[in-house]
Amino acid sequence: MSELSVNHLLGIKYLNKKDIQLIFETADHFKEVINRPIKKVPSLRDITIANLFFENSTRTKLSFELAEKRLSADVINFSSAQSSVKKGETLIDTVNNILSMKVDMVVMRHPNPGAGVFLSKHVKASIINAGDGAHEHPTQALLDSYSIREKLGEVAGKKVVIVGDILHSRVALSNIFALQLQGAQVMVCGPKTLIPKYIDKLGVKVETNLNKALNWCDVANMLRVQNERMDISYFPSTREYTQQFGVNRELLDSLDKEITIMHPGPINRGVEITSDVADSKQSIILDQVQNGVAIRMAVIYLLASKIKQ
Amino acid sequence: MNILIKSATIIDSKSEFHNTTQDLLIENGEITKIANNIKNPKNYQEIKLDNLHVSQGWFDSSVSFGEPGFEERDTIENGLKTAASSGFTAVALNANTNPVIDSNSDVTFVNSRAYKKAVTLLPIGSLTVNSKGEDLAELYDMNTAGAVAFYDYKKPISNPNLMKIALQYASNFNGLVCSFPQENKISGHGVMNENITSTKLGLKGIPALAEELQIARDLFLLEYTGGKLHIPTISSVKSVELIRDAKKKKLDVTCSVAIHNLYFTDSMLNDFNTHFKVLPPLRTQTDLDALIEGVKDGTIDMVTSDHNPIDVEQKKVEFDHAEYGTIGLESAFGALQTIFTLKKTIDILTKGKTRFGLENTSINIDEKLNMTLFNPDTKYTFSKSDIISKSKNAIFENETLKGKVYGIISNNKVALNN
Repeated sequence: MSELSVNHLLGIKYLNKKDIQLIFETADHFKEVINRPIKKVPSLRDITIANLFFENSTRTKLSFELAEKRLSADVINFSSAQSSVKKGETLIDTVNNILSMKVDMVVMRHPNPGAGVFLSKHVKASIINAGDGAHEHPTQALLDSYSIREKLGEVAGKKVVIVGDILHSRVALSNIFALQLQGAQVMVCGPKTLIPKYIDKLGVKVETNLNKALNWCDVANMLRVQNERMDISYFPSTREYTQQFGVNRELLDSLDKEITIMHPGPINRGVEITSDVADSKQSIILDQVQNGVAIRMAVIYLLASKIKQ
Repeated sequence: MNILIKSATIIDSKSEFHNTTQDLLIENGEITKIANNIKNPKNYQEIKLDNLHVSQGWFDSSVSFGEPGFEERDTIENGLKTAASSGFTAVALNANTNPVIDSNSDVTFVNSRAYKKAVTLLPIGSLTVNSKGEDLAELYDMNTAGAVAFYDYKKPISNPNLMKIALQYASNFNGLVCSFPQENKISGHGVMNENITSTKLGLKGIPALAEELQIARDLFLLEYTGGKLHIPTISSVKSVELIRDAKKKKLDVTCSVAIHNLYFTDSMLNDFNTHFKVLPPLRTQTDLDALIEGVKDGTIDMVTSDHNPIDVEQKKVEFDHAEYGTIGLESAFGALQTIFTLKKTIDILTKGKTRFGLENTSINIDEKLNMTLFNPDTKYTFSKSDIISKSKNAIFENETLKGKVYGIISNNKVALNN
């Protein structure tokens, strides 16, 4: 049976194309499972998973927990908005304390880029990165690509624009790596202050005009402006941001094609996307959420099967 | 002190014996005879080592030892032992301590710790009170106690008027003012060079612009005030250009570069290894090439190990939380020789002394003995066993280096490695 090339899911950049294919095929199976009357399989009855969230999260945490429970894993949760360092305990100590209670896998969200990579070098458990600072959010990128594949048949050859706050976004970075790995073309669009200066070196197109970007793409992934990560104002006002980078019905209707609209959530309605767009048939926002559970089940299942070996 | 050194190749472009292999007779701390096959006159201590080379003693313009306040990082005693073992006969010690070295008595304390050691310790006093960048410290008073320069270690003086006043004030007594080249508003919360690697890692970047703006500002100030300015540890192409132009204008400015900035690029940070977290950050190959060129053509006056022991508790943490810095004395010679010729390496290691108030010496008859002994040809992989510092945060760990140090003879003391 096929297996992943990695023992942890720390970021998309550590995966290869076959890994993504395997995750998608496994997710296909689990998507069928979660739509059955009995939404649960006994696969991971012998596995204990700790969800460690050192940063606020609602949907990702729920999605992981649901995925774990539907695989019949035992689950413990630890949430702390404060990083462990501030409390005087190191991250390694915090995690090792939890692992000594015989935990097999750690799902971690953390405010610092590379926290998962760091942890994987110092503790004996399989690590899934549920978002580390502005670095990566691999399961989000996987579910985004999976949703594109579901809607448009395949990812290869598609043109995807990621709109908004690219500078502070782990979702953008993971999506760029995932989409490129599968042969899609990627563009980023937003105010220049929110686009990393050297992002073109990743082989993505850079556009500051939303109209042009939407005319180019097949899919637009609208990101939330992450005010909580900004140390200064990168644009004068939300009003002005929306004027330039908000998607509305009128703008979509002016295009000579029907593009697919995505959003990783939570949506700021009326800011990056208007309600009539978010709720339209062009939007696959709620499909993304459902696919998130299937993708996370697949990732957990595949990594757990490596632990069992 | 009477010694007979047998069969040593002298590397000293100021010596008439440069590039020749000789015996050296040392009597009462002075070189009295340099010739082939000198006979041991009175049962003097004899030094005979494999492929022995000697040069005038080496100098490092920027080291930190932690004491007082951060003894868990290292102590002055062990730091000086590290310096001696690594071939350095003089080191300028940063005020990177707690309390910060910002008064006459602090400088006197540091000096007392180095009393009668083989390595000469040159204390650098803080430029501002508690290195806070607000008010000038008592520079003149520290100067009289032996402070050779004034520097808020790795902390930029954000207020340009304060830097202007510092340059003007220190010029009264020919004091050397150091300015860390970073505009903090531009560097923001950056933790590594801003480029493709920082983008891939999602780490906040420090643009080279932050360094260049500050250097440009300081050079304008220097042109206005006169005085002596030293810019420690530059790291970018444009910084080299700015200083090259300033020297053409005959401004009294010197600068240094850290050895690791001549050796590694920011691509080393790819897996968030905190050993590579240094300030200024590792930059790109283009920067690295320009820095090496700057060293070769003399634009960059000094190359420093920028030795900074950091205990493991401050390094074995998430990248954002890790302290900046690496130890570097132990690997300095071996690393430089992978970049430059032996002659250039020795030239680099012996430059900048007079800027920090030291005399130049040479390997000549009737000269006072200040000497480093080494074998330039040994190739080895730098490992933890090569580290003498209390902290083991070595950026050069696992690198293949060239050249090992036998020890030093300095301040009438022989300090040889086993």
